[in-house]
Amino acid sequence: MHANDVKMSLDEVIEETRDFLSEEFEVDRNLILPENNLKDTLDLDSLDYVDLVVLIEENLNVKLTGEDFKEISTFGDFYRLVGRKLAL
Amino acid sequence: MLVPKEAITQYIPHREPFIMIDNLISATTERFESDLFVKEDNVLVENGFLQESGLIENIAQTCAASFGYLDREGEGEPKVGFIGAISKLEVFGLPTVNSTIQTVVTPMHQLGNIYLVKGESFMEGRILLGCEMKIVVTG
Repeated sequence: MHANDVKMSLDEVIEETRDFLSEEFEVDRNLILPENNLKDTLDLDSLDYVDLVVLIEENLNVKLTGEDFKEISTFGDFYRLVGRKLAL
Repeated sequence: MLVPKEAITQYIPHREPFIMIDNLISATTERFESDLFVKEDNVLVENGFLQESGLIENIAQTCAASFGYLDREGEGEPKVGFIGAISKLEVFGLPTVNSTIQTVVTPMHQLGNIYLVKGESFMEGRILLGCEMKIVVTG
């Protein structure tokens, strides 16, 4: 189910995001917190960002570009961006 | 056909004996297609079959030739790229010497200079190998 298929709240989007990120990147779900750094927590290299973009599009139906990542440092930044793109 | 094998080195940085593509048949931003006749003296042939590594390199060179062709069409110079990662690899069969394979590549995502593509190679309509590949384009 995509976030746009049935209108989800931002809290629901955040919880779903924590689920698929923890599963895909094999990271403890409890470390995916708004104040934590996204790159460091998920241990992303430049190639991994492509996987992240694919995951976001498949799970949330949100398209991200390289430019978008310039404003993302923490998961909180990421949730705010996704919320804006989903008009939540 | 967009680029015959006699001109393919104008679009890829590879040189003999490591050219794993013959003709670039089509290249749009949505789909690339090429073919390759498997010669007995191909360096990646073993025991009469082109090996998995040859099929993977063929997919990568199909990307290289297509990106090169599209760059030229856009009046730019072809850029050098390399394989960043390979995933979801499935091998169903290997082509024999003296057979021709067709390869289809579909660009799926782009993030900056990294492209995620899906590549599949076929022989007589039967799939031989499929994978996803991250191609990093430099320059």
